[in-house]
Amino acid sequence: MTGWRARHYVSALANAPKAARFDRPMRRLEGVATAIGLHRKMLRKPLAGVLHAIIFISFFVLFTATIEAFGSRLFPGFSLTPVGGETWIAILQDTFAVLMLVGVGLALYQRYVLRPARFKGSSGSDAAIIYVLIVLIVASLLFEAAARILGGADGSWRPVASVLAGLLGRAGVPAQETQEICYWLHVGAILAFLVYIPGSKHRHMFLAAPNIYFRNLEPRGTAPAVPRERENPGVDTLAQFDWKQQLDLLSCTECGRCQAVCPAYAAGLPLSPKMLITDMRDALAAGPSAPPLVGGIISEATLWACTTCRACMEECPVEIEHLPKIIDMRRHLVDEGRVSPGLQDALSNLTRLGNSMGKPSKMRARWTGELGFPVKDARSEPVDVLWFVGDYASYDPRVQEITRKVAELLSAAGVDFGILFDAERNSGNDVRRAGEEGLFETLAQSNIDAIGECTFNRIMTTDPHSLNALKNDYRHFGAAFEVLHYTALLAELIKAGKLDLVAVDGGKVTYHDPCYLGRYNGGFDAPRDLIRAAGYTLHDMPRCRENSFCCGAGGGRIWQGDDGVTERPSENRIREALSLGDIDYFVVACPKDKVMYTAAIDALGVADKLKVLDIAELLVPRTPPPREPVTSGVDII
Amino acid sequence: MNILVVLRMIPDSAGELQLAEDGRGIDREWLDFQLNDFDDHALEEAILLKEAGGATVTAVAIGEGANRVLQMAAARGADEVIALQAEDDAMISSRTIAATIAATARDKSADLILCGVQSTEDVFGQLAPYVGAMLDWPHVSGTNRVVADGAGLRVTQERGAGVAVTYEMTLPAVLGVQTASKAPRYVSGSKLREASKTPIGRAALEPSGFERSAEIRELRLPAQGGSGEDLGNDAENVADRLVTILAVNGLTANGLARK
Repeated sequence: MTGWRARHYVSALANAPKAARFDRPMRRLEGVATAIGLHRKMLRKPLAGVLHAIIFISFFVLFTATIEAFGSRLFPGFSLTPVGGETWIAILQDTFAVLMLVGVGLALYQRYVLRPARFKGSSGSDAAIIYVLIVLIVASLLFEAAARILGGADGSWRPVASVLAGLLGRAGVPAQETQEICYWLHVGAILAFLVYIPGSKHRHMFLAAPNIYFRNLEPRGTAPAVPRERENPGVDTLAQFDWKQQLDLLSCTECGRCQAVCPAYAAGLPLSPKMLITDMRDALAAGPSAPPLVGGIISEATLWACTTCRACMEECPVEIEHLPKIIDMRRHLVDEGRVSPGLQDALSNLTRLGNSMGKPSKMRARWTGELGFPVKDARSEPVDVLWFVGDYASYDPRVQEITRKVAELLSAAGVDFGILFDAERNSGNDVRRAGEEGLFETLAQSNIDAIGECTFNRIMTTDPHSLNALKNDYRHFGAAFEVLHYTALLAELIKAGKLDLVAVDGGKVTYHDPCYLGRYNGGFDAPRDLIRAAGYTLHDMPRCRENSFCCGAGGGRIWQGDDGVTERPSENRIREALSLGDIDYFVVACPKDKVMYTAAIDALGVADKLKVLDIAELLVPRTPPPREPVTSGVDII
Repeated sequence: MNILVVLRMIPDSAGELQLAEDGRGIDREWLDFQLNDFDDHALEEAILLKEAGGATVTAVAIGEGANRVLQMAAARGADEVIALQAEDDAMISSRTIAATIAATARDKSADLILCGVQSTEDVFGQLAPYVGAMLDWPHVSGTNRVVADGAGLRVTQERGAGVAVTYEMTLPAVLGVQTASKAPRYVSGSKLREASKTPIGRAALEPSGFERSAEIRELRLPAQGGSGEDLGNDAENVADRLVTILAVNGLTANGLARK
């Protein structure tokens, strides 16, 4: 019956397109061991983690009782007694039966008293049924043992059952009949549980481990390429998803951790990463009778709400991959031309001019005009560091000031650097994540060609989004560059004694980890080192490092309207910073953040309390920038 | 239906316009060029007509970057694309374009010609009426909806104050499109890449046969007069200056209260 109930899933997975997830078995096993054995992600929420661990361990201990229950009747003479069934196994069963009830008690307390918002939209009946079944299985187990003790069995290894036996004795129930009834209750409840599992979220008991094992081991920042055998760039039926993407759907536990960290969900947009998965899962179960995927099961508004910040995937205890699905479905929408006017404008500008602002390429390097020294053209002379400046840092007047600041810091440190001038194009990071794979390829190829003409050692980017594309996405074209963020280069220069800072007695600041620098590329420490080196005291917000909260601009969101947004993610974030108390500056390391958070502070009317500063603005070089161009290459490694 | 669409490349207005040395034109050498917006709508209207009832669409482009725009037209559904050969640095008069389009229309036996109602280099919207006159075909400009209706068309023309007029026209005809029935669609990069293989035809410009009726003698960049003041582009200073100006003129809340 269990098999029958799982038939749809089995056939869907069997017919799904292939996915390469069989390499590096040792690394895969290691991940399973830490995820399950150590409950690494589970324990980020202490109560839920501990109660799950209790139930999880108790389940394995009590499984011995299940083996005994079925074994003893199916194979006459079968017994665990010779290996300690009536001694050490008995006391373990007795203890863990109680622990299991404690675990379920905690779960009940969490679900019905604390009621965390992340459960909103999860199946309530699924949770209730499992509680009833577990209590039934454990209670029948205990009472069966109690009845046996009442009937004269040795109870010295079963203290809890012995106490219950005393109670039963006083109540005057017949030992033999009670034992039989409890046995059949126990077996019946286990069988009911087995039959029930395939249609419930409790599938995760069997699928969590394989789903974690087959997780994506590629760099986090590499968006999945369009498979060659796929006819169109996008996906518009569930069957076009490869088997791992489909296995994801079946593995979801509905824990809602993804929903709790999603900036789009918090903003009131119609996207919950959890419901995205469960809605597709239900459609997979419904088979051919399900409505169309894109625009049906998953609405267009849901797909466009995502900022691709990756918080959901970072949080998921069973390694579900939300983003590849969203990007694949966006690819379908883009291929059909179903895009919002804002996105269409930006993409058309990018097609035509290589930047989203609609500005001529020739104005890209205009920010250098107000610099006190010329910037090298990396296309015509060799440089040590090739600086990929990015759209916002090049064109946006609010950010150009910071771009010049970075140039002055590099110059003060004697770095031999150059830029691509009008040959630079948008890196395509967010174009790709908006589902525009064709345009991404055009932009990437154009940059790779331009970079290929230059002689340099390393690439530095201002924008974490460019960093991600150049470092991770461009591998798709066989381009392997050494790319680093300006915060990493500056921290390195300070460490090497090349950049000498005037340390001020700065106030308290907080720092916002940009998604594409931190969560995607692990750049957590360099920015913090720089803040300290400049003489400021860093006070992190509760959501920092891997748990950073997105500003709301990524994945093409910055090109779309705010329709349906009840609270902008950027304003939510500024409130978080304000709640820290005496913070002077909100420090950022991404040009888009300067724009987003300055606007948020203005919208909230708190410009007198908090100011947004880029890290480069905190750093004051001791030597004034030289007026003459740096001509000789300086080794900074 | 055989539709001919005119696509004109115009200087990107986001770029910086500089005068040519002789002061009688703009320096086109360093400019980016883009498709005239109204022509984009004309192309969309042609494709919508094709999708609604079947038609052959020929797109004819003129100016720097014509090839790129023609690939886009092919990706959107144009059946044939032709680039008119012209000097890159020269502005081409609407009369010359009209004569060439009229010749191409005869050559391709087109029965409907669509172009944008105007362009920055044809602010009076002369192209459509010129073509109509040269071919002796009926012409309507400022359309915002075109529907195929039997052998003819129902064409809605936008007038002022929310008034719209619908004409029933027989073919052949020339239309100056203001907006297409639907906003121009987005063409994905993958479709553009596919369309980049489309062969692009070439055609030479036809002389219009008209005497030039007027000459540009001098162009000037807008000069700063006494009526305006440049507040610069630094947001904070601009805001301060604005507040001061408003206050001085008694236009702030405080100022008004004092009055």
